[in-house]
Amino acid sequence: MKRRKFLGAAGSSVAVACYSQWLHAQTNGVLIVDVLPFSGPLAGIGRLSDMGAKIALSERQQRAGSLQVERMVLDSEGNPARAVRKVIEAMEQRKAVLFTGEVISAAALSISKEVAKVGGVYITAVGADEVTGADCSTSTFRYSVPTFGAIEQTVRPLAKAMPQAKRWYTITPQVVFGEGMLANAKRVFQELGIEHVGNTYHSLQDREFSGFLTNASAARPDVLLLLNYAGQLQACIRQAANFGLKGRVTLLAAWTTGLYEYHALGADLMEGVYTGAQYWHTLDTPGNRNFVKQSAVMFKETPDHSMALAYSCTRLLLDGIERAKGADPAAIIRSLEGYKYEGVTGEEEVRAFDHQVMKAYYLLKGKSKSQMKDKDDFVDVVSGGKSFVDEKSSLCKRQ
Amino acid sequence: MTVYLFQALNGVGLGMIYFLIAAGLSIVFGLLHFVNFAHGAFYMLGAYFCLQALRMGLDFWTALWLVPLVVGGLALLLERVLVRRTYRMAHMYQILITLGLGLVIQEICIIVWGTEALNVSPPESLSSVVFFGDFGYPSYRLFVISLATMLTFVLWLALEKTRLGALLRAGSQSVEMVALLGVNVSVLFAFAFAFSAGLAAVGGVLAAPLRGAEPFMAQEALSIAFVAVVIGGMGRYSGALVASILIGLTQSLMSSLWPMGANLMIFAAAAAILVFRPNGLMGRV
Repeated sequence: MKRRKFLGAAGSSVAVACYSQWLHAQTNGVLIVDVLPFSGPLAGIGRLSDMGAKIALSERQQRAGSLQVERMVLDSEGNPARAVRKVIEAMEQRKAVLFTGEVISAAALSISKEVAKVGGVYITAVGADEVTGADCSTSTFRYSVPTFGAIEQTVRPLAKAMPQAKRWYTITPQVVFGEGMLANAKRVFQELGIEHVGNTYHSLQDREFSGFLTNASAARPDVLLLLNYAGQLQACIRQAANFGLKGRVTLLAAWTTGLYEYHALGADLMEGVYTGAQYWHTLDTPGNRNFVKQSAVMFKETPDHSMALAYSCTRLLLDGIERAKGADPAAIIRSLEGYKYEGVTGEEEVRAFDHQVMKAYYLLKGKSKSQMKDKDDFVDVVSGGKSFVDEKSSLCKRQ
Repeated sequence: MTVYLFQALNGVGLGMIYFLIAAGLSIVFGLLHFVNFAHGAFYMLGAYFCLQALRMGLDFWTALWLVPLVVGGLALLLERVLVRRTYRMAHMYQILITLGLGLVIQEICIIVWGTEALNVSPPESLSSVVFFGDFGYPSYRLFVISLATMLTFVLWLALEKTRLGALLRAGSQSVEMVALLGVNVSVLFAFAFAFSAGLAAVGGVLAAPLRGAEPFMAQEALSIAFVAVVIGGMGRYSGALVASILIGLTQSLMSSLWPMGANLMIFAAAAAILVFRPNGLMGRV
């Protein structure tokens, strides 16, 4: 009797799984899988990214060309191992081949390798340069500007605006991302004749930066360049303000997550602080005006960095399906290589040799509370531009 | 040299905050022999309730005394409803239950306040920086050191010179003997639990302007508090004080000597103490 029950249950499960796949095929649809952290320490980013992806789908009525789009969302839990396991399960159980998302570099690199194994497509906006650098793959596209561009578009314009600031100190997380940022910063310092008066590395577990800031203070820098990100960057800025560094030293945080971060820190702390950003909601481009409008209609929210990145990745994938006139990954990849389009930052282009999206990166400066026109008006966009390593210098040697 | 003096001053400040968290944990462990993994959550609630109090228009000074009372009250309720049922259970069950309780509190904080670290401004009167030559030191941190030192002294007086303190110390030696003297041990335990939570909340309120309020601050605080209790000696109030300051100093001085190993050295020190003095620096042999 028990065996019969077991067989019945197993048979029903198989039937349901097969029916689901059959139904999907019959509806002439395409499955895209979005990997986002809906729980764990990055859950806030997951929520915003989800909203961005939904806007991209909504503005096309859930379609890519003639195909109905089914979006499957996987909770990465902010845990690379679990994220990759869920991706593999989606490949095995749903035959998924089209992926977007993920915000943790280690997870994105692993997902990139898994998607490459099945010959799929993966579009992400993570920070790790390897995605379109040393570990680039035919399957993977990257929307976010690499560390090279982040440093070029922040350090260089700030140094130009403050020629008297010749002593710079850096605080760096000792991870691959941090090393990339630091190496680029040192290169720019050398080119501009800036004296690098010191650097403090910290681990990813550190939350107390007062000791590191005391080191920085002892070096008497003109500019304190923060190369960390997310929670550690916020803690660093908060404590730098506590220690009175903000008034005496110019603070530049080269890699921030935009509006969400400004709301967490507040205008008082961010006033006068320079930051680097992939996106800001006041960018005056047709693509961004449309995106901001859609966001207001759908969610009554001003879009932030995470929303814009997820929106852009999803949109790019939908464009690829539409241009390829189908869901064949190889055709989608071909259709995206060299593709130029009007994105949220203006004209954007997918570079063919490494699948890096060429888009602008911005230098922002925090406004005082009294200057803010609305609750989201935290900054002035000081400058923006595109900087990417050329093919010759790129570590991407994809055949 | 000056930089090391500043790192030392900074380390003492950090140590005093760690002590406020570790002292409560030490009292609960010493008296109740209860392993409280939810202790860090009370510290986190202190920070969040402070943030909320400021958002509601209260000032920092009101939050400083009101929040620990509220958190202490909440801890008292939890003790009566849940925690007291586990006193006679093995440590493993206590760990499971309090760990679960800590996670529930953390998730509630995420639902209410989100996952980002939210900024809490120091009171206006303490927002300045005191400069010693090239080095600035926040007047708020000087205040934290002063207040925590004062609280440490008051706590010491309360534990050493009052009847309640005598009962708590006696309870940490032999609960049965205290019960035989006619003391209502259940009430004593409930008070100790609520008091330790309130103490952690004081630490949370004081830490909020330094670190912000974020849902993952509990784990960090708990791990450091446990290390302080282990280094100082289980249930030893003075041990927790010495250990907390040592941890603060280690963390701060290592920031100059070997920044990446600042956290590692804390745990390496704990391991060394466990090897060479298993009962802690001031533990009973």
